[in-house]
Amino acid sequence: MAEVRAGPVPYIYVCTRMRVRKAKLLPREEYLRMLNMGLSEITRFIEETQYKKEIDELATSFHGIDLIEIALSWNLAKEYQNIQKITPGTLKDLTRAYLRKWDIQNVLTVLRGKLHGERSGKIREVLIPAGELDKHFLDRLIEEPTPERIIEALKGKGVYPLLSRSFDGGVKEEFLPRVENELYKQFYAELISMAMSGIKGGRQFMDYITLDIDIKNISNMFRFRADQSGEEMMSAVIPGGTISPQQIQRLMYIRDRNEFIDALVPLVKVRVLRELLEKLREEKSIREIEIDLIKVQLAEMESMSKLHPFSIHPILAYLEMKKYEIINLRALARGKESKLTPDRIREYLVI
Amino acid sequence: MALRDIKPTRSELINLKKRIALSERGYKILKMKRDGLILEFFKVLEQAKDTRGDLNERYESAQAMMAVANTVEGAIGVKAAAFSVQEVPDIKLASKNIMGVVVPEIESSKVRKGLNERGYGILGTTSVIDETALSFEELVESIIRSAEIETTMKKLLDEIESTKRRVNALEFKVIPELTEARDFIKMRLDEMEREELFRLKKIKARNV
Repeated sequence: MAEVRAGPVPYIYVCTRMRVRKAKLLPREEYLRMLNMGLSEITRFIEETQYKKEIDELATSFHGIDLIEIALSWNLAKEYQNIQKITPGTLKDLTRAYLRKWDIQNVLTVLRGKLHGERSGKIREVLIPAGELDKHFLDRLIEEPTPERIIEALKGKGVYPLLSRSFDGGVKEEFLPRVENELYKQFYAELISMAMSGIKGGRQFMDYITLDIDIKNISNMFRFRADQSGEEMMSAVIPGGTISPQQIQRLMYIRDRNEFIDALVPLVKVRVLRELLEKLREEKSIREIEIDLIKVQLAEMESMSKLHPFSIHPILAYLEMKKYEIINLRALARGKESKLTPDRIREYLVI
Repeated sequence: MALRDIKPTRSELINLKKRIALSERGYKILKMKRDGLILEFFKVLEQAKDTRGDLNERYESAQAMMAVANTVEGAIGVKAAAFSVQEVPDIKLASKNIMGVVVPEIESSKVRKGLNERGYGILGTTSVIDETALSFEELVESIIRSAEIETTMKKLLDEIESTKRRVNALEFKVIPELTEARDFIKMRLDEMEREELFRLKKIKARNV
C-alpha cells in the first residue's frame, strides 16, 4: 500500500476500515440465535467466523471452553495490535494511549500471579496483550523471579513510576488494590493531559474520556450504594469527568434512591445518560444497571463517531464494540457450559 | 457372673444388696442423663436442620454466582480477581459443656468484607465479582456456623449412644445378674437355715 503521509487521506482510510470492521461484528440477531444453540453448536459457530485462525493455533494446547476463551482473548489482542499498526499519525498516539488500560490489567495480573506463586504457564493463560506491552515483553516479565524484579523490568514504561514509588519497600499484596485504583486514575489523568496538550483530535478524544469517566463513576456509585458503603467510594473516584469528586462525595451521602437520582441527573450532560438515569428510579440489579450504562456508552460513542467520522471516535467505537463482542461470545459459551438458562445468559449480554 | 462362683454367705448378700442399690441409682441417673441429652439433641437438631438448609442454599447460590462470574468476566477475570484474596478467616476454638459433654464453640474473624477491603481494585472489576465474592463470604460464614452446630450434634449423638449402652447394660445385664445372685444367696441361706433347723430337730429327737 502506498502510504499517504499528509492530509486527511490516512484518517479517511483508517476510519473507513474501522467502519467496515464494525459492520462485520456480529449483529444482535446472531446472539439471539446463539442463545438457543447448544455449546457444541456455539463452538462450531465461533470456529466458522473470524476466530478460526486462533482456535486452530491453540487447539494443540487447550481444549473445550478454555480453548474458546483463550482464542477469543488472543483474537482481541491481535486485532488491537493490528489496529495500532494501521492507524496513522496522532490517531496512533491516541489509540495507543487508550489501549494502555490493558497494560495495567496485565501487569497487575502478573504481579498477583507471582505473589501467589502461580506457575508461569497459568499466568500466561490469563493475559491479554492488547496494549503497549506486547506478548514477548509480558513473557519476559512472567519469567522474572520476584515481583520486585518485575517492577524493575518495567522501567521506562508508563506504569513504572507509580509502581516503584508504591512498592518502595517490597511488593505487598495488601497495597495492590490501592495501587490498582491509582494506576487507573493515573491512566485517565494521562489521557486527559494528552487530550488537552493541543494534539490534533484532542478535543474529540477528550469527549470520549469524559464520557468514559462519567460512566465509570456513575457505575461505581451504584456499586458502592449496593454495598451500602458509599462513604468509602472516594478512593475509587476518577477525577476529570463532568461530575467532580466533591459532587460525587456529596451524592454518596444521599440514602434515598429517588433523591440520589434527582441530585445526579442535573450534573450529567449527555442526554441519553440522563434518560437512562430517570429509568433507574425503579429497583434494578446492579448488573442490569452496569449493562444499561455500557449500552448508553456504546450508543453515545457510535453517535460521536457519526458526528466526527474522521476522528478518533470511529476507532474507539470499534475497539469498544469489538471488546463487547468478545465478552458476549465468551458469556454465551461459558453460560452454556455452566448450564445457565438462555434468559439468564441474555441478562448478561451487551446487545 | 456364674452362680457357681458365688459364695452364699451373709456378708456377700449384704455386699450384693449394696451393689444392687448403687446400680439402680446409677441406672436412674444415667436414664435421666440420656433423656436430657436426647432433649438437648433435638434442640440442636432443629438448629442443624436450619443451618444445613442455609448452607445448601448458600452453596447453590455461590455456585450459581461463580457460573455467572465465569460467564461475564470469563475464567481469566475470575482468576485474576481470585489472585487478590489473601486473607483466610481466623478461627478461634473454645469449648462449652452441655450435660457433661464438651462441645466446641467456634468464633471466627469477620468474613464478610466491604468493597474496599476485598483485595481487588474497584476500577478494574465489575459488580459481578462483588456479588460472587459476597456469596462466597456468606457461604464461608454458613460453613463456620454449621461446623459448630454439626460437631455439637455429633458429640451429643456419641454421648447419647454410650449412655444408652450403659443404661441398657445396667437394665438388662448388671441389675438382673445381681438380683439373680442375691436371690440365689437368699435361697441358699434359707436352705442352710432349714437344714440347720432340721439337724437340730433330729439331734433333739435322738436325745429324747
